[in-house]
Amino acid sequence: MHSPVVSDEPVRAAGTDSLQAEPAESGKWQALYEQHSRYVYYLALRMVGDAALAEDITHDVFLKAYAGLDRFRGQASLRTWLYRITINHCHNVQRAWQRRNIITTGDAQTWDTVAANTDSPLRVLEIKELGQRIQRTLDALPDEYKLLLLLVADENLSYQEVASLTEQSADAVRGKLHRARRAFAVEFQKQG
Amino acid sequence: MEPDTPKRRLQHQRREEQAAEEQQSAQGRAALQFDSVEELLRYDAAQTAPPPAIAERLQGSLRAEPAPKRSWWQRLFKKAAR
Repeated sequence: MHSPVVSDEPVRAAGTDSLQAEPAESGKWQALYEQHSRYVYYLALRMVGDAALAEDITHDVFLKAYAGLDRFRGQASLRTWLYRITINHCHNVQRAWQRRNIITTGDAQTWDTVAANTDSPLRVLEIKELGQRIQRTLDALPDEYKLLLLLVADENLSYQEVASLTEQSADAVRGKLHRARRAFAVEFQKQG
Repeated sequence: MEPDTPKRRLQHQRREEQAAEEQQSAQGRAALQFDSVEELLRYDAAQTAPPPAIAERLQGSLRAEPAPKRSWWQRLFKKAAR
């Protein structure tokens, strides 16, 4: 589990964003892409639920990162910065889609009244379609819960960074996370 | 020992096919257990690689981008060194 930090300073621990390292110029871009693209793509994929859209978003995020370094002030880790661009881009894509379609997403209050034992492990028998089952589960949750779970699943992010990305306090994240886990567990069993 | 008749050969072949099908089915239904939602999502993320086409497309797009005044990597590392 994450240990909360109070500072927004960049995380530069070994194996994360080793900004001190300076390989050859051409290799730096490749290293950045290889280090973060998997996480950016996964977040985009599960947020929008469409592989082709997630591909476009990942491409655009790295292009924006390249063009917008001036806006990166080193106050957050590179991963957090890339996630912020990803989340904003996903929201724009979702808003455009919602304007054209009627959507019915669950709201947080509905899930708050659902009883579930979140201490029980999640058992999976059919691995082949696990990704689709996870996607259906996430899609049934309120967007806020979905985003929280996806961010907290990244072990490189602290609660403080998740709080910053979702524009709320770390305490609020902890409280909502408990409800989000419960909602996910209930829906995941339903989707099985 | 029974004689090797066409009927026996057919039975043997069916048994082999059945065993192969069962093995295939067992592989697809291997049970996994996750202690938390985060653990499940991390497993899912580890199985989900970004398509290689993104990197290729990005290379093309970056070539079309106007070059930053100074290498963004130089600026990044300069900031980090402060």
